[in-house]
Amino acid sequence: MRKIKFIALKEFYHILRDPRSLMIVIVMPIMMTFLYGYAINLDIKQVVISVIDNDQTLASHDLQDAFFKSKYFVRPAEEVSELDPDRLLKESGATAVLVIKPGFSEALKRGDKFSLGMIVDGSDNTLSAAVQNYANVIVNRFMLDRLPPGIKLPGIEISRQVLYNPDLKSPNFFVPGLVAIILLMISALLTSITIAREKETGTMEQLLTTPVTPFQILSGKVLPYVAIAFLDGILVLLLARFMFRVPFEGSYLLLLGFGFIYIATSLSLGILISSLVKTQQVAMMFALITTLLPSVMLTGFVFPIRNMPIFLQALTHIVPARYFVTIIRGILLKGAGLHILAIQGVYLLILMGIIMLIASKTFKTRVG
Amino acid sequence: MYRAFWGLVKKEFIQVFRDINMLRLIFAVPIIQLLLFGYVVNLDVKKIRLDVYDFDHTQLSRDFIASAKAGDYFLPDPATTPIFELSQRFQSFSSDMALIIPHGFSDKLSTNNRIKIGLVADGTDANQTSIGSGYLARIVQQYASRVTGYKSPVDLRFQVLYNPEAESVYFMVPGIVATLLTMITIMLTSMAIVREREGGTLEQLLVTPMSSRTLLFGKLFPFAVLGLIEMILALVFGTLWFKIPFAGSPVLLFSLSGLYLLTTLGLGLFISTVTSTQQQAMFFAWFFSVFAIMTSGFFAPIANMPQWMQYVTCINPMRYFLVIVRSIMMKGSGFMELLPQVYALIAFGVILFSFAVLRFHKRTA
Repeated sequence: MRKIKFIALKEFYHILRDPRSLMIVIVMPIMMTFLYGYAINLDIKQVVISVIDNDQTLASHDLQDAFFKSKYFVRPAEEVSELDPDRLLKESGATAVLVIKPGFSEALKRGDKFSLGMIVDGSDNTLSAAVQNYANVIVNRFMLDRLPPGIKLPGIEISRQVLYNPDLKSPNFFVPGLVAIILLMISALLTSITIAREKETGTMEQLLTTPVTPFQILSGKVLPYVAIAFLDGILVLLLARFMFRVPFEGSYLLLLGFGFIYIATSLSLGILISSLVKTQQVAMMFALITTLLPSVMLTGFVFPIRNMPIFLQALTHIVPARYFVTIIRGILLKGAGLHILAIQGVYLLILMGIIMLIASKTFKTRVG
Repeated sequence: MYRAFWGLVKKEFIQVFRDINMLRLIFAVPIIQLLLFGYVVNLDVKKIRLDVYDFDHTQLSRDFIASAKAGDYFLPDPATTPIFELSQRFQSFSSDMALIIPHGFSDKLSTNNRIKIGLVADGTDANQTSIGSGYLARIVQQYASRVTGYKSPVDLRFQVLYNPEAESVYFMVPGIVATLLTMITIMLTSMAIVREREGGTLEQLLVTPMSSRTLLFGKLFPFAVLGLIEMILALVFGTLWFKIPFAGSPVLLFSLSGLYLLTTLGLGLFISTVTSTQQQAMFFAWFFSVFAIMTSGFFAPIANMPQWMQYVTCINPMRYFLVIVRSIMMKGSGFMELLPQVYALIAFGVILFSFAVLRFHKRTA
C-alpha cells in the first residue's frame, strides 16, 4: 500500500508542477460544458427569409405579416431584387425566398387555384426541412382563417403534454451526456499517455527494476487520474445544475455507483492502450480513435443512434459510454431508479469485465 | 539557405514516412474519421417511436394512425402497456412519444365537431420533441382536409436549390473535410516542433549555420504539404464513397485551403511556443480544435446560438473556411461571392502567423 501511495504522490507532483496541464484539466471541462450547452441548439428560430411581393395588396401584406409575426422568420437586413433564384439566394443571404406572384388577392376573393412559391436553400437539409414545415403550417393557418362561407372543417386539436424537460431546453439533453465524455477523456486518454511517457523516456524500466510490482506501479499511476476524473465530473455537474439549471431528479448514490463502474471501465481501456503502444503520440492518436471519437459519435450523445446504418448501430453496443450516457440522462432528467436502469448497468458491467481481463493479460505479457 | 531548407524538409518527410504508426495516423485515421462522421453526423428527426393508445377503435381512427406513418417520421405502434406506465416506458428510453385517440373520435369527426387528441412526449431530447410535434400538426391538418374532401385553393410550392434530395451527408462531408484539415495541421505542426524541443534536438538544429527562419519554414513546409494531401485524400475519398456532387471549382477550393493553412500552421506554431512537452501540445491543439469545430456551425447553425455566442464565433477562422468549403462544393460559388470570407481568412492568417513567428524567434533567439 505504501508503495502505491508513493507512486501516486509522484504522479500527483508531475501533474501539479505543470500548471499548463493542470489548467487544461480544469479549463477543458468548463469550456466543453459551455460549448455543448450553448452551441448545439437545433431549435430553429429567426431564420432569414426575404419576400418578393409582386401582388402588393392588403392580402399579400397580411400573408407577409403571418410569416414575420411567427417567431421562426425574420426579414433580411436589406431586400434585393433579382430574378435568378440562385443569385437571389446568394445575394440576399437568406435561407429562403417567398414569392407572391400578382393575382394572389384576386384568387383569394374568387376562391381560384393559386400557387405561392418558395425558393429554399437546401444545403443544410435539417434547416431546409424545418423551414418548409413551418412555412406550410403558416400558409395553412392563413387559409383556414379565410375559409369560404358554408365550409366547415373538423377542428382536430392536439393537446400536448411534455414529461421531463417541459421547457424543451437543449442543454438539459446535451450537458449530462458530457459527463460521460469528460470522465472518459481523463481516465482513458490521460492515463494511456502518462504510462506511454514512462515507456518512451525509459523510466518505466527503471520503475520495474525497483522492488515495486507492476500492479503497484499501475495502481499508483492511475489513482491520481481517478481523483481528477471525479473532480471534473463533479465540476461539470455543478455547472449543469447552477449555470444551465439542469434538473436533478434521481439518486446521487445510484449515479455515484454507476460512475465508479464507468471509470473503472475507462481506466482499463487506458491501460490496455498504453500496453499496446510505445510512444505518447501514438498513444494519443490511438486513444482518440478507439475511445474519444466513438464516445462522442456512437453513443447517442449528440447524434441519434437510429439514424445510423445498421452495422454502426450494432457497433454502438460495445461502446461503454453509450450505456453511461443513457444512465446519467435517466437518473438526472427522469429520476429513473435501479430497476429501470439495471439492463444498462449489466451491459456496462459485462464490458468492464471483458476490457479488464484483456487489459491485465496484455499488460502482464508486455510489461510485467 | 535553400540547401539547408530542402535538407530539413527532406529530413522531416523521412521522419514521417519511416514511422509506420505515424503513417497510419496521417492516412488511415482521417479516412476512418471521414467514414464515421459521414455516416453518423445526421441530425434528421425521423422514426420517432410512437406508442398509440386508440380508445376509439374505428376505421377512421385506424386511418388516422396509418396516415401518421407517412414520410417515415413516426413509427406508430399499438401500445402494449397501460397508459399509467407511460412514464416508465420513457424512463427506460423504450418510447419517445405517445398518441392518445379518445373514444368518440370518429363520431365527432363525421359531425364536424371539435376533437382533442392527446400527445404525450418525452421532452428529454428537446429538438426531437419540437420537430416531432410540428410533424404531427402537419399530419393532422392534412388528415382533416382529406376527410372532408376540401382542398385549400392556395398551396405553397417549394423549389429547393443545392441539395434537393435533402441528403444529410452532402452537407456534412464538406464540413468534415474542413474539420480534418483544421485538426490535423494544428496537431501535427505543434507536436512536431515540441518533439524536437522535448528531445533536445531543437537546440542542436539551432547551433547549425541554418538561420532560424530557414529552420521555421523548413519545419512548417512539410506539414502544409501533408495537410493539403490529406485534404485532397479526404475530398476524393469522400465524394466518391458517399457519391457527393461537387458543384464548384476544385482549384479555387484548393487555393483557398492553402490560404487557410496560414492560419492553422500559425496556430500550431503558436501552441509549440507556449508548451514544452508533446502531451501539453496535444492538449492545447485539442483544445483549440474542439473550440473551432463547435463554434464553426458544423453541428448546428450559428443563428441558433445565443447572441453573445454568435459574436464569439466571429473570432473563429474555421467558421469562414467552413462557409467557403460548403459554398464551393454545394453551391458552386465563385471567388467574388466568397470575398468577405477570403478577407477574414487573410486577416486571421497574417495576424496569427506573424504573431506565432515572432514568438518562435523570441523563444529560440
